[in-house]
Amino acid sequence: MTTTATRPPATTTPETPRERRAHRQRSGPAYVFLSPWILGVVLLTLAPMAVSLYLSFTDYDLFDPPKWVGLRNYSDMFTADPRYWRSVGTTLLYVVVAVPLKLALALGVALLLRGTRRAKGFYRSAFYAPSLLGASMSIALVWRALYNDGGTVDELLSSVGIHTGGWVSDPHLAVFVVALLSAWQFGAPMVIFLAGLQQIPADLYEAAALDGAGPWRRFVSVTLPMLSPVVFFNLVLETIQSFQVFTPAYAISGGNGGPADSTEFYTLYLYERGFSASHMGYASAMAWVLLLAIGAVTLILFRTSRSWVFYANEGA
Amino acid sequence: MTPPSIRRRDLLGAAAGFVFAPLLAGCADGGGGSTAVGGKVGLTFAWWGNDDRAQRTNAAVALFEKRHPNISVRTSFAGYPAYVQKLATQAAGGDLPDVAQLDYRQISQYAGSGTLLDLGPYLSNGTLRTADFDKGLTRTGVYGGRQYALPMGRGTTGIVYDAAVFKKAGVATPRPGWTWDDWAEAGRRISALGMKGPNGHAYTGLSDLGVNEDAFETWLRGRGKQLYASQHRLGFGTDDLTEFWTFTDKLRREGVVSQARDTAQIGGAVEDTPMGRGLAATDFNWDAPFLGYPPLLGDSVHFAPVPTTDGKVGQYFKPTMLIGVGAGTQHPKEAAELIDFLLNDPDAGKILGVTRSTPPNRRIAAAIGRTLTGPEKEVYDYGRTIAAHGTDAPPMAPPRGDVVLQVSFQRDYQRVSYGMQSPRGAAEEYVAEAKRELR
Repeated sequence: MTTTATRPPATTTPETPRERRAHRQRSGPAYVFLSPWILGVVLLTLAPMAVSLYLSFTDYDLFDPPKWVGLRNYSDMFTADPRYWRSVGTTLLYVVVAVPLKLALALGVALLLRGTRRAKGFYRSAFYAPSLLGASMSIALVWRALYNDGGTVDELLSSVGIHTGGWVSDPHLAVFVVALLSAWQFGAPMVIFLAGLQQIPADLYEAAALDGAGPWRRFVSVTLPMLSPVVFFNLVLETIQSFQVFTPAYAISGGNGGPADSTEFYTLYLYERGFSASHMGYASAMAWVLLLAIGAVTLILFRTSRSWVFYANEGA
Repeated sequence: MTPPSIRRRDLLGAAAGFVFAPLLAGCADGGGGSTAVGGKVGLTFAWWGNDDRAQRTNAAVALFEKRHPNISVRTSFAGYPAYVQKLATQAAGGDLPDVAQLDYRQISQYAGSGTLLDLGPYLSNGTLRTADFDKGLTRTGVYGGRQYALPMGRGTTGIVYDAAVFKKAGVATPRPGWTWDDWAEAGRRISALGMKGPNGHAYTGLSDLGVNEDAFETWLRGRGKQLYASQHRLGFGTDDLTEFWTFTDKLRREGVVSQARDTAQIGGAVEDTPMGRGLAATDFNWDAPFLGYPPLLGDSVHFAPVPTTDGKVGQYFKPTMLIGVGAGTQHPKEAAELIDFLLNDPDAGKILGVTRSTPPNRRIAAAIGRTLTGPEKEVYDYGRTIAAHGTDAPPMAPPRGDVVLQVSFQRDYQRVSYGMQSPRGAAEEYVAEAKRELR
């Protein structure tokens, strides 16, 4: 219930019916103003989620009405579908590679940009630009062309005697092409890191320098601990995002998660099951497992954070 | 070296991606749906195929519009994989184009779910004519006793080969009755020439057919078995598939068929096949797509029968594609008129040629047969040769799951060709999935 600040504490005196009515009248307009949001949440988020939960227990091919099959989708997924587990493995590999790579790049560039005095705005915008472009299909296609057989990267490496062929058509390298595309879009975490870096008091560095700490020592003993809440924030955000990677993998693999399923991420397989194979029930079950898995990973990250995230106001 | 370029397939992938985006947003505005444009009846018509087919079909549609000034047709086309996916999404939304080209694989699913219009009334009132069609071929569009689609052509498979390369390697021209062993031997002799393709990869005699479900089916039928025993059961076992994949995998290890990374690029278009990319001397394909090879590779490209197993023929005629009307159309009569025009009008027949293989209307087929030249004539004559040589009756329409299984077949073998899984392991995975798909 909404209460206004001027209202005396309500718990001491029980409300009379009249007061209650007045209360309702006061909160009524609030709900009217909230209604666009409430309608959106209920119709576009909660209701579809409920339907998806129901569908996950059915066999539904979009054409005929859903048939209740109990837990079959889940048991097929866990016990009978090797492709499912391969997509889980591919996704985990991607998360483990892409997230640290992107965060390291973002932090590295943020550290470099912290010191710039001239053309600060230009550099920041320039490094942020890929994040604006990167989500688009066209950049993923350019990426595919770059790393294709006979593409730019292949040619450049070949000219110095390294013959790798196109990374896109190599099942051991294709996943890294997608990871690199993600790392290239380090703008968002970079901006957050920059903001975090500015919060670190300069006197800490001065004190450390007086004590004879070199640049590396200052980074490890001052910057990293002071920045750890920001690192944690970026880590959680990027991990959640990476689990849901779809567009770049879809575009780079030409929509099929190839070659040899090497870029078939969880979401890509989910999409394939739902929209190509018309197994909406199975796809819904996969979506719910993904939701729970991301929740579990986030929980684990929060648990471990207690041992490495340092909050200055804790006064350690 | 050719500069990297964004190719057709990439764009199609992008197009398919954009199909997905509005779905996510819960937007139900699909591509279909009839509209009245400027007082005219508006029809939508979609098909899959290459640019040549698109040009011919659009020309035929333009003639139709000229004859029917009150009808305006909006056409669209895509490559096969993108088209099938898009159509499935539209079908699920009850939003099929007014007139749609359909694959044999889609008939049972779409007709069974009420997505297609029963063409019966238009057949009985004479809007749609099939008197000059082969009865057996017309029946391929029947589901549950009703005619839901009509065949657009009658086609069969074959081996596309480069006669100049065959001559260079001293390999005899393939003749009807040649065997899979002859095929492999031809591949060995050509690969032994040690030629290179435009991208520097070895030029091989054969394309790796392990990814091709149609090739496997023909091979299987040559051994007296079939893909499906019923709508819910496979007609072969793990051992059969293991044998086929071991055969192709061994050829790959010998360097006789295309390398894994080139095989992996095979999609819907001739331009993406190893042969189309100048990396192999032969390919397995349907007779209509054969027309896509000579423009890329020159006049020395010809079409030969599919190899047999000790003389037993596995190939058969099937409707290359069918044409049907979306159940939600507001102009069923005009849609039927368009179909009848495409299938039975002599002028339309002349424009379309054999772009969808031999026309189903025998009179039109005979009429254009006299006027065709070059590769088109070869496709036409090939159909007559194979028919004269004798093929088994086509199998029943594939079960619903076949659309999915055809894709899985390619994916499962890709893992074999990259050396990431044994033929038996992949075969076991495929058969297990097929059982789930068909239950």
